[in-house]
Amino acid sequence: MKERSCSSAVLIILAALWSVSAQADWALNMTEGVTEVSRSIYSLHMQIFWICVVIAIAVFSVMFWSIIHHRKSVGAKAEQFHENTTVELIWTIVPVLILVAMAVPATTTLIEMYDTSDSDVDIQVTGYQWKWQYQYLGEDLSFFSNLSTNPDEINNKVEKNKNYLLEVDEPLVVPIGKKIRFLVTSNDVIHSWWVPAFAVKRDAIPGFINESWTRIDEVGTYRGQCAELCGKDHGFMPIVVQAVTDEDYALWLTEKKASIAAEVAAAARVWSLEELMVRGEQVYQKNCAACHQVGGQGISPMFPALKASAIATQAEQRDAHIKIVLEGRAGTAMQAYGAQLSAVELAAVITYERNAWGNDTGDIITPQSIQSMLKSK
Amino acid sequence: MTSAVDHHHGPATGMTRWLFTTNHKDIGSMYLIFSLLMFFIGGSMALIIRMELVEPGLQVVQPEFFNQMTTMHGLIMVFGAVMPAFVGLANWMVPLMIGAPDMALPRLNNFSFWLLPFAFFMLLSTLVMDGGAPDFGWTFYAPLSTTYAPPSVTFFIFAIHLAGVSSILGAINVIVTIMNMRAPSMSYMKMPLFVWTWLITAFLLVAVMPVLAGTVTMMLTDIHFGTSFFDAGGGGDPVLFQHLFWFFGHPEVYIMILPAFGIISQIVPTFSRKPLFGYASMVYATSSIALLSFTVWAHHMFTVGIPLVGELFFMYATMLISVPTGVKVFNWVATMFRGSMTFETPMLFAIAFIVLFTIGGFSGLMLAISPADFQYHDTYFVVAHFHYVLVPGAVFSIMAAAYYWMPKWTGNMYDEYLGKCHFWCSFVGLNLTFFPMHFVGLAGMPRRIPDYSIQFADFNLVSSLGGFLFGFSQLIFVLVVVKCVKGGKKAEAVVWEGAEGLEWQVPSPAPYHTFETPPEVK
Amino acid sequence: MNIWKVFKAVFSAFIGVQSEKNRLEDFQANSPIPFILVGILMVLIFIFSLVYLVNFMVYLM
Repeated sequence: MKERSCSSAVLIILAALWSVSAQADWALNMTEGVTEVSRSIYSLHMQIFWICVVIAIAVFSVMFWSIIHHRKSVGAKAEQFHENTTVELIWTIVPVLILVAMAVPATTTLIEMYDTSDSDVDIQVTGYQWKWQYQYLGEDLSFFSNLSTNPDEINNKVEKNKNYLLEVDEPLVVPIGKKIRFLVTSNDVIHSWWVPAFAVKRDAIPGFINESWTRIDEVGTYRGQCAELCGKDHGFMPIVVQAVTDEDYALWLTEKKASIAAEVAAAARVWSLEELMVRGEQVYQKNCAACHQVGGQGISPMFPALKASAIATQAEQRDAHIKIVLEGRAGTAMQAYGAQLSAVELAAVITYERNAWGNDTGDIITPQSIQSMLKSK
Repeated sequence: MTSAVDHHHGPATGMTRWLFTTNHKDIGSMYLIFSLLMFFIGGSMALIIRMELVEPGLQVVQPEFFNQMTTMHGLIMVFGAVMPAFVGLANWMVPLMIGAPDMALPRLNNFSFWLLPFAFFMLLSTLVMDGGAPDFGWTFYAPLSTTYAPPSVTFFIFAIHLAGVSSILGAINVIVTIMNMRAPSMSYMKMPLFVWTWLITAFLLVAVMPVLAGTVTMMLTDIHFGTSFFDAGGGGDPVLFQHLFWFFGHPEVYIMILPAFGIISQIVPTFSRKPLFGYASMVYATSSIALLSFTVWAHHMFTVGIPLVGELFFMYATMLISVPTGVKVFNWVATMFRGSMTFETPMLFAIAFIVLFTIGGFSGLMLAISPADFQYHDTYFVVAHFHYVLVPGAVFSIMAAAYYWMPKWTGNMYDEYLGKCHFWCSFVGLNLTFFPMHFVGLAGMPRRIPDYSIQFADFNLVSSLGGFLFGFSQLIFVLVVVKCVKGGKKAEAVVWEGAEGLEWQVPSPAPYHTFETPPEVK
Repeated sequence: MNIWKVFKAVFSAFIGVQSEKNRLEDFQANSPIPFILVGILMVLIFIFSLVYLVNFMVYLM
């Protein structure tokens, strides 16, 4: 009876393992990556790994040999020796020499990683709770990159796609074969910008700028994640980098700038309540729902509710509401969205918050009024 | 002194015995039971973590609660389970091993124990507070733990203060006892290695716990009194926090492993029936490891942007300090070599310690290579590394010590069959849990995430299954302890054939008062 | 106990190897103070020689 329940448990475990391996791979090792630095790091990793394996085999074979042959049950008599300075010196000096041999290539690689001079493209990476901002220095181009995974996938309502949690709305686009310098910083808490394929990992520290660089060899899409615990949605701020050829990069730059200009122009026209609500819901889902929740109920007391709240329903609080969205609230996860979203997006999301979930104030916030408030500040 | 001899009274009765006791054996038992309780509380939090990580997607808990679990699991295991367990072992065994009638400062001893339940009650109470428990990781990096922390952070700070005071007082007691209470013929060079390693650990504790206390106090003033130690906006520096934390944190790692080295150095010779190989080297190396452990802290911070010379300095220093630590393993193997070994439960735990701690040491060596650390840092590879050092390291050594000395404590032999069951279940469970973490870490899974992309699914499932096996196996240990306390085969004074040392000169169970006249050391 | 013996003892501690004979000799000392002072001094020497080495490596490459 006991045996049967045991073997059926094993079967269940095997079946469970089988079902997940249908959708995933059993990756064992570090990626070699697509840059010179990532390849030297990979080879350092393999060298030190094999050194460890060899030492382990040597030590443990002596140990297990003793365990088998020098046991009391096979009649072993204990010797009484208890020191041998020569042997001890040898097994101390040999590891030191091995480590010195390891230190040389490690030093060379590290010096190379620290040489951020003569870059071709400079990108400032700023961590926010919980998204990344990319500013192309000298190009007058800046945008935010948010997780784009469908919340239903996270909540197990629909099948997960193969880039689950590793997909964003606006990837970072960079040219291949160019030395790209990253200036990494943060707006709130410490984050860490990590793309394994480049072997670039740099902590984003508020008030300080860290430098790092890469030169990508192959066209492709490379994915990474925030590596430093940064609060609630630390696991939900991925990084996606598209490495493209020089021509594609130039083309992308022009298109990207044009679409930003179109967004600015859209602020001048008149928007209806319905239009603003539709747009506002999109903006809300992307930027606000993580904390204030999809239904606007928030998570007490860290993230206050908007639904039926004084600030989002009372007419006299209207300007205060806009002000908080534009300027944020210092020392909390509430950021200053005035610098992050376009006037249309801001107008839409505030309109949405004042009319969704039964707030029904009927207020329409126009992009023009947002623009004038931003100017007056 | 004479009055102690006159009053051959036993323990007081009822609750007052435990509340007011100044007896090192009672206090030692309370420390051990407290740490076992904390081990189960911290362990259940680990199981909640593993439950959420069974498969991709959010199933069991929400991210904010997940972060509270990782934080509380780490804090409770480090400050509530491992450290008090070692203090409990020191309380029980140090006086018995050096031939002292009790600890040197018995009332202080009572006080330092009773601080702990209050500290951890305060810490655990944050779970039911508005805003939840601390959620910034056991390393509580600022400004996530200051400006952006939940309101309960203040309770966390005071809990750390209390636990820190308790540790400092306990450490002072150990130092004073070892220096002043040894039997006249127990010279320093005759001291068992467990006593040596605890003496050195105690000095480390006295040196670094105030650093931790200072750091959390700076957090407190940042949060409540408008200072800006860790806030760049006010001229402070978030990285300063990490330097302070790891200046405490790295010696803390040795605080949790040096007593383990001591325990293993008691057990391996006993069951090999052969003296410890290189006792002198062990004592010398341990003392220098303690000093050098203050020079390597920034290897936890290779990615924060310290200058190139800093990276190189801490890489070289870390690689060099790993050698005297690593060769201890050679000494234990040489002790077994040509011995006459038997494999009772304590020895099984000790051998597993040697093998698995070495694996943790190797991954530590890999992490020391600073360029490679850029790929390892803050991934599950690090989680695998420090769990291999702490679980089969610190925790297994505590288990080994418990089995080794339990007959002396209770007067009864534990159930060897159940002990072996406990060992093998734990051994299989922990390897299933932590070994696959190396793989997911190398494949790119960051630590402290409540949900992960699908390529990490397989190994996370294995880890979770192993975690449950390991967790529930610890119930066998409780069964063993309860059975052993209640009865069983009577233990002799010298419980183990090859055992040497003063603790085996007193009968089993050890009487309430021992060594009222100092023993003669051979 | 001459000062060289103390240095030798501390150096043995740093590399983690000491013979029983020398240990017995070291523990004949009346006071641990010289060992502690020399220990701290050697840690400082260790730190500064490593700093020097590191700067030299950076200069070299």
